[in-house]
Amino acid sequence: MAEVPKNDEPTDATPNVSEVETVDAETPEEAVAAIEAPVERGEPILQVRNLVKHFPLTQGVIVKRQIGAVKAVDGISFDLYQGETLGIVGESGCGKSTVAKLLMTLEQATAGEVFYKGQDITKLSGRALKAVRRNIQMVFQDPYTSLNPRMTVGDIIGEPFEIHPEVAPKGSRRQKVQDLLDVVGLNPEYINRYPHQFSGGQRQRIGIARGLALNPEIIICDEPVSALDVSVQAQVINLMEKLQDEFNLSYLFIAHDLSIVRHISDRVGVMYLGKMAEIGSDEQIYDHPTHPYTQALLSAVPVPDPEAREGRERIILTGDVPSPANPPSGCRFRTRCWKAQDKCAQEVPLLAIPERFVDQDTPAAHESACHFAEEKDVVHAA
Amino acid sequence: MATPASRATAATAPPPASTLLEVRDLRVEFHTRDGVAKAVNGVDYAVAAGETLAVLGESGSGKSVTAQAVMGILDVPPGRITSGEILFRGQDLLKLKEEERRKIRGADMAMIFQDALSSLNPVLSVGDQLGEMFVVHRGMSRKDARAKAVELMDRVRIPAARERVTQYPHQFSGGMRQRIMIAMAMALEPSLIIADEPTTALDVTVQAQVMDLLAELQRELHMGLILITHDLGVVADVADRIAVMYAGRIVETAPVHEIYRAPAHPYTKGLLESIPRLDQKGQDLFAIKGLPPNLMDIPPGCAFNPRCPMAQDVCRIEDPPLFHVTYEGLTAERRSACHFWKETLRG
Repeated sequence: MAEVPKNDEPTDATPNVSEVETVDAETPEEAVAAIEAPVERGEPILQVRNLVKHFPLTQGVIVKRQIGAVKAVDGISFDLYQGETLGIVGESGCGKSTVAKLLMTLEQATAGEVFYKGQDITKLSGRALKAVRRNIQMVFQDPYTSLNPRMTVGDIIGEPFEIHPEVAPKGSRRQKVQDLLDVVGLNPEYINRYPHQFSGGQRQRIGIARGLALNPEIIICDEPVSALDVSVQAQVINLMEKLQDEFNLSYLFIAHDLSIVRHISDRVGVMYLGKMAEIGSDEQIYDHPTHPYTQALLSAVPVPDPEAREGRERIILTGDVPSPANPPSGCRFRTRCWKAQDKCAQEVPLLAIPERFVDQDTPAAHESACHFAEEKDVVHAA
Repeated sequence: MATPASRATAATAPPPASTLLEVRDLRVEFHTRDGVAKAVNGVDYAVAAGETLAVLGESGSGKSVTAQAVMGILDVPPGRITSGEILFRGQDLLKLKEEERRKIRGADMAMIFQDALSSLNPVLSVGDQLGEMFVVHRGMSRKDARAKAVELMDRVRIPAARERVTQYPHQFSGGMRQRIMIAMAMALEPSLIIADEPTTALDVTVQAQVMDLLAELQRELHMGLILITHDLGVVADVADRIAVMYAGRIVETAPVHEIYRAPAHPYTKGLLESIPRLDQKGQDLFAIKGLPPNLMDIPPGCAFNPRCPMAQDVCRIEDPPLFHVTYEGLTAERRSACHFWKETLRG
């Protein structure tokens, strides 16, 4: 896209994110060296600032005119710390998968920055970008379509070594692949089998083994268990937690299942229509949500306990999510919000600790993009 | 396989007076190139008017195939019903001619499918598809049928029904499409609705809207509802009774409160322990080891025995019948197909 769309909000839309210590690498060697440098546990490893992705909508076949844009991601900022799991939840169309693609540099960002160890990866190219891609890997949603049916498991897991031969010299690759199979709990003798010979849960393990092949630091998981049966989901979730400890990984865990996200995440961000509505620790978001959308989302989740359902307050939202091509002015949630007032249509609420909770030692004091943020427990029975 | 004697006693027990549908010892196989897949292996269940029965199971447990057999929409071949009865108001549907069944389907029992987009005809307006029910079953004119379609869309709370009745399925959102599916199922006010994963494809806020609508219409029309799902949360919210299926059999049936409080089958127990909870941060998730069985090669004895933490020798030899589960304070019928249901119940 030629024209960078104007961001309709102040640049410090999220004033509470940490300051980025940028690295200015003069040469590709310096850039790669910075990428290879280790990060202390608990330090930010990925810092996303005002990230925007607009997909142009065009009209006309021969002469294409842009008539608008789908604002899939519209200015979001967050940090991912070394060794943690950040869960991103939201309904379909909220932009969570686009965020994943942007972080993988599979999509070019329209605006904004993604700092990986101080370097903006949206502007990297060549060797430095290749080094970044080695360190950020992805596990996809659908284990049936994300594995090539004509390749053996050994070829699928070993393919990353073709692109990054420095990780495993040619002679040792087969052994390395067998080790990976063992790590994800598959029989190493299955190396010559094809994907169709495995069940869904086993295929997802293959996908995870491929993600681990290059010893990455960050794994972006886009709905990794949503295609699996309940009894198999738990196996894969437990495996992912085990691998995180073993290899010191940071996860960005994208899912629509709020219960699973709570289980695996240290912090959780809630997205709505391309914006971050609320972000905080799992306890802050689930037990002390302050954004109406988070509250509605949580209250809509059926809890597998018929006794608990009676005491819970249910917020049933009206209507559907508006089109991201034409989002509402001001707060994007206002069209479905029961608290909406004139202010919500005029002013975009910033993602910040709500004023009433600033300086208070309460779990409600976390970032929430609502003019009328208010704590409400919707998860536990009253 | 199942011991026929025990099955017979279960099947001959007199149904409660208001029983709408009763499935008895239903067996379905699929003949494929690789062999015979035994999808349903002796299922018994009953639904009363106004009752919601949830059929819970993972993929391949036979929950959808049972429903298709009840509706008479099973693909035959490759599918084949090898035994059993499906009694609808006391009449065995399997003995009826196709023509007679067609009259019941839609008018007396209807089905809601998971994927509304592929279940609706993309080249017909939703008004035509809703009106078709009245034209075919009630012999109405197209004009009257159109008016009925608008009425139905109003009833499932689709805004601006009068304008939207001429629109096509792709012009509706996922939640709205599922409402249209519900409207279509409700059109002739059937006494039984089978909903096969009605909200699985929907977002959670929309899922809540759709489930509420379904429950409300059920109350209004006093229908029997069979809700087929894999989601233990959805079940807890709406069901009266639960039937848990595994490898083509019902392994446990119980009133909804009882099953969540104390499961009487290790599979149910494992399922409940393997889902993370929204209201508490758990420790390690319990994972049921292994995989669901291959339906062409179901293990002898109890089908769950290779994955069961409590399995003993008897489980590998003898297929457990659906035992009556009894304990103090239990008022409704409860059954479990586990040799060790007492031990499981105790935890």
